[in-house]
Order: sequence, then structure tokens, then C-alpha cells
Amino acid sequence: IQDDHKLSASELEEKYGTSVNKGLSSARAAEILARDGPNSLTPPKATPEIVKFLKQMVGGFSILLWIGAVFSWISFGIQFAQGAESPFDNLYLGVVLAVVVILTGIFAYYQEAKSTNIMASFSKMIPQQALVIRDAEKKELSADQLVVGDIVEIKGGDRIPADIRLIFTQGCKVDNSSLTGESEPQSRSCDFTHENPLETKNVAFYSTTCVEGTATGIVINTGDRTIIGRIASLASGVGHEKTPIAIEIEHFVYLVAGVAISIGVLFFIISVSMRYKILDSIIFLIGIIVANVPEGLLATVTVSLSLTAKRMAKKNCLVKNLEAVETLGSTSIICSDKTGTLTQNRMTVAHLWFDNQIYSADTSEDQTTQPFDQSSPSWTALSKIVTLCNRAEFRPGQENLPIMKRVVVGDASETALLKFAEVILGNVMNIREQNKKVAEIPFNSTNKFQLSIHETDDPNDKRFLLVMKGAPERILERCSTIMINGKEEPLDSEKAAAFQTAYMELGGMGERVLGFCHLYLPENEFPDTYPFDTDSMNFPTSNMCFVGLLSMIDPPRSTVPDAVSKCRSAGIKVIMVTGDHPITAKAIAKSVGIISATSETVEDIAKRLNIPVEQVNRREATAAVINGMELKDMSLQQLDEILCNHSEIVFARTSPQQKLIIVEGCQRQGAVVAVTGDGVNDSPALKKADIGIAMGIAGSDAAKNAADMVLLDDNFASIVTGVEEGRLIFDNLKKTIAYTLTKNIAELCPFLIYIITSIPMPIGTITILFIDLGTDIIPSVALAYEKAESDIMNRRPRNKMKDRLVNEQLAVYSYLQIGIIQSVGAFITYFTVYAEQGFLPSTLLGVRVNWENNAINDFEDSYGQEWTKYQRMYLQWTGYTAFFVSITIQQVADLIIRKTRRNSIFQQGLFRNKVIWVGIFSQIGIALILTYGLGHATALNFTPLRFQYWFVAVPFAILIWAYDEVRKLFIRRYPGSWWDKNMYY
Amino acid sequence: GLILLFYLVFYGFLAALFTFTMWVMLQTLSSDIPKYRDRISSPGLIISPKPDTALEFYFNKSDAQSYAEYISTLRKFLESYDDSKQSQNINCTPGRIFDQNDVAVKKACRFNLSELGQCSGKEDKTFGYSKGTPCVLVKMNRIIGLKPEGEPHIHCASKEEGMVEISYFPPEGLIDLMYFPYYGKSLHAHYLQPLVAVQLAINSNSTKEEITIECKILGSPNLKNEDDRDKFLGRIAFKVQMTE
Repeated sequence: IQDDHKLSASELEEKYGTSVNKGLSSARAAEILARDGPNSLTPPKATPEIVKFLKQMVGGFSILLWIGAVFSWISFGIQFAQGAESPFDNLYLGVVLAVVVILTGIFAYYQEAKSTNIMASFSKMIPQQALVIRDAEKKELSADQLVVGDIVEIKGGDRIPADIRLIFTQGCKVDNSSLTGESEPQSRSCDFTHENPLETKNVAFYSTTCVEGTATGIVINTGDRTIIGRIASLASGVGHEKTPIAIEIEHFVYLVAGVAISIGVLFFIISVSMRYKILDSIIFLIGIIVANVPEGLLATVTVSLSLTAKRMAKKNCLVKNLEAVETLGSTSIICSDKTGTLTQNRMTVAHLWFDNQIYSADTSEDQTTQPFDQSSPSWTALSKIVTLCNRAEFRPGQENLPIMKRVVVGDASETALLKFAEVILGNVMNIREQNKKVAEIPFNSTNKFQLSIHETDDPNDKRFLLVMKGAPERILERCSTIMINGKEEPLDSEKAAAFQTAYMELGGMGERVLGFCHLYLPENEFPDTYPFDTDSMNFPTSNMCFVGLLSMIDPPRSTVPDAVSKCRSAGIKVIMVTGDHPITAKAIAKSVGIISATSETVEDIAKRLNIPVEQVNRREATAAVINGMELKDMSLQQLDEILCNHSEIVFARTSPQQKLIIVEGCQRQGAVVAVTGDGVNDSPALKKADIGIAMGIAGSDAAKNAADMVLLDDNFASIVTGVEEGRLIFDNLKKTIAYTLTKNIAELCPFLIYIITSIPMPIGTITILFIDLGTDIIPSVALAYEKAESDIMNRRPRNKMKDRLVNEQLAVYSYLQIGIIQSVGAFITYFTVYAEQGFLPSTLLGVRVNWENNAINDFEDSYGQEWTKYQRMYLQWTGYTAFFVSITIQQVADLIIRKTRRNSIFQQGLFRNKVIWVGIFSQIGIALILTYGLGHATALNFTPLRFQYWFVAVPFAILIWAYDEVRKLFIRRYPGSWWDKNMYY
Repeated sequence: GLILLFYLVFYGFLAALFTFTMWVMLQTLSSDIPKYRDRISSPGLIISPKPDTALEFYFNKSDAQSYAEYISTLRKFLESYDDSKQSQNINCTPGRIFDQNDVAVKKACRFNLSELGQCSGKEDKTFGYSKGTPCVLVKMNRIIGLKPEGEPHIHCASKEEGMVEISYFPPEGLIDLMYFPYYGKSLHAHYLQPLVAVQLAINSNSTKEEITIECKILGSPNLKNEDDRDKFLGRIAFKVQMTE
């Protein structure tokens, strides 16, 4: 730990070999720069692009397909060496498989690179300049050239270019929010005020901003050695766990690969033991692998996720990591910041108290009027004080903007008051002009009041008006009367008690309360020429007339309460984590519904029952407000207990470091945790969370870098829409996968039946690839556009352990039921084509060896006709085409049934998802092009098919649809039944 | 238990459906002629004997063992052309398509083995192999309803000139139109395809050399013989190598 903050300026000069007046010499600076390196944060180590690319080449199913390709080449090599007639088929197949892997790899790589680019745009920063004294001259330098010992000057608005020990300050305030999360600017001075370098006032930190004033200081840390740099390296040390969807996809890949390999090996053994040649058996193995692997599926999943990411970006959730789209959907706990996320991040007048009555003000984002009763003359008096006793001003040239959007020069509460007055009274600046200010004492922390003296706008009234505002108890001390309905009445103890009650009530709502009073100075004592002197205070500041109270709060965003209740019905726990005061935090938590109206904290129960806090049964309290100080002393078990036992939790006065502890605590409960954050030191928590959400407006670059998602409008409600999208995509991916897996069986069965019964090959490997990567792609993406079947925000978040993306029911229903129906339909078409050309099914059984024999050119069919080899091959390709067309036609039915898992298609609406129809038309269109367009180029093994064969499988398509309707009907009718358990996926 | 029962019923139903659909489909088919014949619009050519080694004849004319298999293949092939087997067959009018569309029982035309002359195996039991004049029978694939136009005949040529003299039986390798059309296995049970025997008289100085012979069907515009992909459509190529 450094102790530079304890040293005096001269000691520092000595330590760093510098001079406050002259600075370092350029030569010395260059030396140090060479030693320490530039003053910039080392970016996190990026994986080399080529490694990323290669990873995509071998990830997922790619390995299986590579194996297929290598086998193809091996069998090509053997056949070529044996001088067989058409060895090139296998060479081509191998090449096609390799191309498929490479293309899908490139696609995945491109998708990943695209999302990384979004990230890169954040880190792009304008090169920062710093004003440095070197060689006894002031120089403007790029901030990364700074070295330890440099003397830098900063002024309001600058970003602090390095960690700086201040040696001269003038009204300097810094905004440390990016570091500590505290949103109030903090004053800086040259004095050593605290042992801890983070707390002492004479150090300013890299990446924080100077809000006002000027300062000069010595650079004591640069680059990665700065406090921020150390936090950033801490963040990169926090491991990032696999996203839930990545785990799901891995699970699914293992499942499918397992099925592919076991069926492949099984049939390899069967075919070898059936005395097929090893070479043939290898070719069968390739076919089985290709049939089993859904080549296009991973690309489809990526596309679906990125479509959702796009949709979410429109709703202000910018997703950096595609997989985070779904993670958001499985979120079970959201740890949210308060300021700016749940609230509007601006002080707003919330309540007024005058005439012994509390009035509520409108605190919504786009207020244009205030609805409370403004007829009382007391209000007129109060409004005048609010208007006049206020130094805040609108920046000029914003007349066309809505009042709430205008930029104000002044502090937060004065801004609130100015806008409040502007909304009600209109042109505040005009009123101030008519009531000319003659004297003013600005607010300071010793007086705790602000006062100004004005001429009145009534030309007949020559009195001066003294207006004052400040801490209510201080203001009340100075008053002897109180205004009730415009009349001054003596301030007796009863009225004082009324004031106390109101003050307590407003304070109890977590609001910042200000008191207002005024005094008309008698004309005879204070004529127009009276010289007011604010230093000697030659005017009365007591015996004034108390007018009223105004309380302010950073109000919740109007969309938040709705969003929180949505979370609640969606089974998502919302935990507020804030650096604010517990009372304010609790008030906001109550107003947005994080703490519901009926629930109580331990303290509330104690208060209600009038017993000490220790005696309260902690289990009775559903809500809890935990102070950061308490959290510090808690053991992990205690924290777990709190997270477990209370459904509504607010952490107040927490440091961002504690956020990490809270996140880890939630994850120990098995929750999927989303965390919001904006400060630099939120980044460890953002990284640790399952999904880190950075604020787009208030967030620091470090936070955005650590996060998986950026909330463009900083609005909590956007998270909830994100959750909805995430849940929807999970459901829709299920549908996509179910759709894609189904036809694998229809592709696989031909191989198995071919091997066992020795019929002519029903479908070719290349043809299968045309289904997987051709006709099926657009429809499976189209399912990503499917609307939710029911209100997905009314069910609990999915259980990571139980609710798998691909569960047993999905696999079994797709593979063993719909897939089998499809196979039957396709085989009917196959047999029809052969029978109508002269080969009755009975003739086909067992013909494989002769059928494929090149030397047999008078192969006899069922009618006595004789076929050459090529004529048979052509018929075989016609069979492929017929099989292909049948699968396509039945996949249309499959697509339609996959629109819903529970509801009837008619409940869902056949036409609501237009993209599905694009999918259907594309599917049929591609099939038509392949059969009739490319049908004459036999290299692809397609032949122009008789048109009626397109309809052979139609009854089976209808059967698929009808069967699925029955399945869904039973599921709806008999929830929890045997049928429901086995048939609902 | 229930799940097994379910799949039993489910697959039982599918099997029944499959069988029923196939049955319906088969009902729509005629047992006499296939519904479509467009995939075999033009016939292929094959030869007999057909050596195991991709249409290459290797034999020693003085070693009976070396061509014994060819001879037995030819004998077997010609068995169905034996007179005793052709007792029901009728003598048709040569040179004319023998249309029997309106006859319920289709008659088969007689193909006299004597048409094959020296290659009939009657006079020369070795089909010329022992003399260095091997016979190869060329046959055109059966296709239902095919009516050749013009005067179809088989013509063979050797790529290497002057090595071999080719003679045909029947003369000029003629395929008589009276054998067409074919009415299918069930209606035309005794149908015999016309054959053309090609006798190769290999020059004595060309022994030990491999001779490539290509036979084509010529003289008929509707019989293709030049297909790029199908090497056996209306043509066939084979190699002969004879030693002494």
C-alpha cells in the first residue's frame, strides 16, 4: 500500500525527483516512460483470431463431419487404388462435408466477430489530453505519455489522467462514482485526511472526473498500477462461467453425437457381420453420420439468437454475447442498482407541506402540469420562495425542449425546484427578473440555509422580500409565525408539533426535505437604498414566517413498478443493491414494489409489536433491508440464510465490492443471477454474474467491457422485456431443434433398411445434405419468430438442472414418433416410384449386390424388362428425389406442428407468424428448383420427378398434423397424466 | 409397461397403415405392364458369354479348358432357344412388326437357332473357340412395347484395323422386326429375344494382342446408341485376346 498521501509536497518532490514548479525534464520523463510503459490500461488478453477460428472448425458437430470427410477420402483412396469405376463420388462427398464444416465454421466465427465488434465500439475512446508541466513549461500531452512524477493541472470537466496526489486545489470536486459508486461529488483538498488512500481527500483517481474547481498534483501511479488498473485486472481474474444455453447446446450435441456414433458403430458391426465389405461398411458409416448430424442446426441456433439479439437491441438491450440472450431468460435473481436503473436519476419534488397538509406532486418523467391544489395563498407565497431563493438556471436556447429535458446549471435539489416551479408557474426567469435580487447568501454547510433578498414585483409595495430555504429544523428555529391559508399565525407548540409530524413523515419516505420561510422587511427600516451587506448580515434572519416544506426524491421510473411486478409473477427475485441510505432505499423499494405493500422487515415488526428487534421471529419477515455495515460482519452462512429466507431484499449502503459477495451468495443458491452495474468497480460483480448488465448512459467503459449486455436506456424495465425475449427464444429453440431432429430419422431409416434388407439405396448422402442445409434452414429459423404460447412471464424461471433444452420427451417424440411416421411416408413414395417403373416391392428386397453391379446390364424387373446399370442408377436417383420430396412435404407438416407445444395450432393462429410461411414457401421453392431446375444435372443426384409423387406423402403429412393435435389435446385435457409426462417436451 | 404398450399400438398402427397404403398402391398397378416405361425408352445391349473379368475374353484356342466356361455359358444361354422349347411358338412374317394388341393370348415368334449359323453350337460344339473364330452373342434388352423403326441391325467394329474379320448371323446382324413388340412377362411368357451372333475371325498374326470390339445397334432412329453416360445403351464394347 502506498503512503504518498501521507507525504508532504517537498517529500514527494524528493521521492519522484520532480519539482512542483518546473516538473520533470523531458529526458527524465522519457526514461521513466521507457521503464513504466505508457499510462494506459492493458486491454484484457484477447484470444488470437486464428485460435478462435480453429475452435469454430472443431466445435460442435464439426468433429463428426470431419470424421465423415476423412472416411470418404480413405474410401476414395482405396477405391481409386483398386481402380473401381466411380471412386470420385466419395472424393466429392468428402469435399462437400469439409466445405460444410468450413462454411458453418466461418459463419459461426463471423457471428462471433460481429458481436465482438459491438464491444470494440465501446472501448474506442477519444485520446485524452493532459496539461503537464515539463521543463518548466506547460504542455498539452496525450494522457498515455504521463509518467510518475509529472505535475499535472486539472480543471472542472476533465477526466483525471492518472492517480494524482494533489498539492494545490481550489474548490475542487471530483465524481468518484465510477470507482466507488457514490454519486455525490466529493471535495478534494491537499490535506491528508484518512489513513486509507482510497478515502483521503488529497488523492484523485485515474478515470474519475473533476466536476468543478481546479487542482494541481503529482502523478503517483500510471497505467495498470492505478487503482482502477488494479480493479480491472481483478475483474479479468474473475472467471466467466459457461452460459446456460452453451451448456444446453453442449448437452444436445453430446446427445445427438452419441446417437450418431452408437447407431453408426452398431450398423458398422452389423454390416461387417452381414459380410459386407469393410469399405462398404465405412461408406454406410459415413451415411449414418451425415444422416444423424443436423448440419445446419448450430448455424440456425446462432441466427435465431442473433435475431433475438436484434429484437432486444430495439428494446434497448444491447447484447454483446449472443448466448447471453437466453441467459437473461433463465435469470432467477436480478440484483439491480437503484440510482438511474430503478429511478430516474434526478431529484424531483415529490411532496409539499403547507396549510398543515401534505400534497403529492407528480414525479413522472414527462410531467407538464402538477395536479395538486394550488388555490391556497400559502402556495403562492411558497412558490415565490421556491422561485426566488434558487440559483439554478436553465442553459439558454432550450425553449423548445420539454421542461424536464432541459439542462440546468446548478445542483440537484435546486434543479429539481427550478423545474418544479417552471412546470407550475411558467417562465421562472421572468419572475426572477421582476423580483430583482439585491442580496444573497448561498447555501453552505455551516448555516445550512440559503437566503436572498428581492424587490417585489408589485410597484405599490416598496418592501423588500427576504426568502430563505434550508434544513427544516434550522428554518423553523428562525420563525415565529407560520402561514396558514395565506394568513400569518403565531407558531405555537401545536403547530410546531404538526410540522414535526409532517417532517418525520416526509423524511420517513426517504425524501430530502427542505423548509421555506419568508419575511417582508418593513419599508421604514429598509428603504430602497438600504445597503444590504451579506457579511455583516445587517438584516433580520429570525422571527420569520414559516411557509412550508418541500421534499424531493430521485423518483422511480414510471415503468419500473410494472416491470417489478412482472418479475414477481415470472418468479424472478429482484434484489436492490445500492450505496444509498437504507431509508431512501427502502422507500424506493416500496414504491416500485421490490418490497411489496404488505410485507414487513424485522424492524417493522418490532416497531408494530413494540418489542426489541432481537425478539422478532426472523422467519415472519418477508422483507429485509440489509446495511452494508451489517453485511461486512456477516458470515457466508448468515448471508445465505438471508438470501434464502427473505423474498424481498434491499442491500443499502453497500460498496460495489460487496456486490460481488452478494452475487456469489445468490449463485450458491443455484440461481441464475443478473447484475446491473455502472461503475468500474462493479466489473468484478458484472463478470461474476451469469449475466452482467452495464448501463449504457451512466456506465463506465470498464463496466461495459465486463458486462454481457448493455442497457441503452439504463431502464430496469428494459431488462424485463429482455427476460421475456430470452424465455421466448428458449421455447422457440426447443421447437427449432425438435423440427430439425425429426427428419434425421427419415434420413437415417433408409440407411438402416438398405443395410438390412438390401433394397436399392433410398436416399443419397448428398441429398441429405440438401435437406439439412437447403430446404430446412429457413423454416427452422422461422420458428424463432413464433409468438409465445401463453404468458411466459407467468411461469417460474427454468430450472437449470431439470428443464433441459433437449429433454428425453423431445428426443423420443421427434425420433420415435414423428420421425417414424415421416420415414413411413417417404418409403411409401419410394416404393411407389419403383413399382410404377416396373420394380414391385417384392422384387426389390435383397437385390442390392446385383443392382449395384456395374457388369450387370440386363437386370430384369418385375415385368420382364431389362435394365442397364445406368438406367437403374437413374431410377435410383429418381428414388432419392422422391424420398427427398416426401421428407420436404412432411417437414412442412412438421414445421406447422412445431409452432406450438401445448396449444392447438388454431389457438396459436396459422397465419400470425408470417415468417413461417416464408419458410414453407422457401422449402417448397428450393425443392422445386432442385428437382426441376438442377434435375438435369445428374451430378447432384436429382431427377425431374413426376408431379404426382409430390402428393404421395401428403396423407402422412396430414397424419402428422392430426396426430400432434391429438397429442396436444390430451396434454391440455389431462395435465399431469401419463400422456402429459411422456408427450410434452 | 404402459410405454411399451403405447409403442406396440403406435407401431402396429403404422405398420398396418403402411401395409394398407402399399396394398392400395399395388392395386392401382397392372400386373401386365408397368405404369411408366420412360426410364427405359431405349434398350441396352449385352453379350453372351459374359466373362467375369469386365467383358474381356482371354483364351487359348488349343487349350479347351481356357474357354470351357464360355462354351457352357453359351449352351446354357441357348437352352431356351432349343426347338423343343419353342414348340408353342409360331412362325411370324419376317420384316414386320407383330402387333397383337387385340389378342388376349400373345404368341411368341419362333427364333430358329439355325439363324445363328456357325454360332448356333450345332455344327461346332466349341462355338468357334477351338478354331480361333470365337462367337459372341449380342442381345438387345427386353422393353415392353418397344417397336424399333427402320431396319435395326448389329454392327461391330474393331478399333484396331485389320486384326479381325467379323461376320454376323443372321446376315448383316439383322434384328427382325417380327419379334417386336414385347408384351411383358405375364402376357408374353414364351417370348424369345432375337439374337445376333458375331463371329470374330482373328488374324493369325494378331494373336496375343488385345482387340477391342465395339458393337452398336444401327439402322433404327428410335434406338439410341450414343449416350454419354450410359455405355451400354444400344452399344457394348468388349476385348478379346487369343493365344495359341
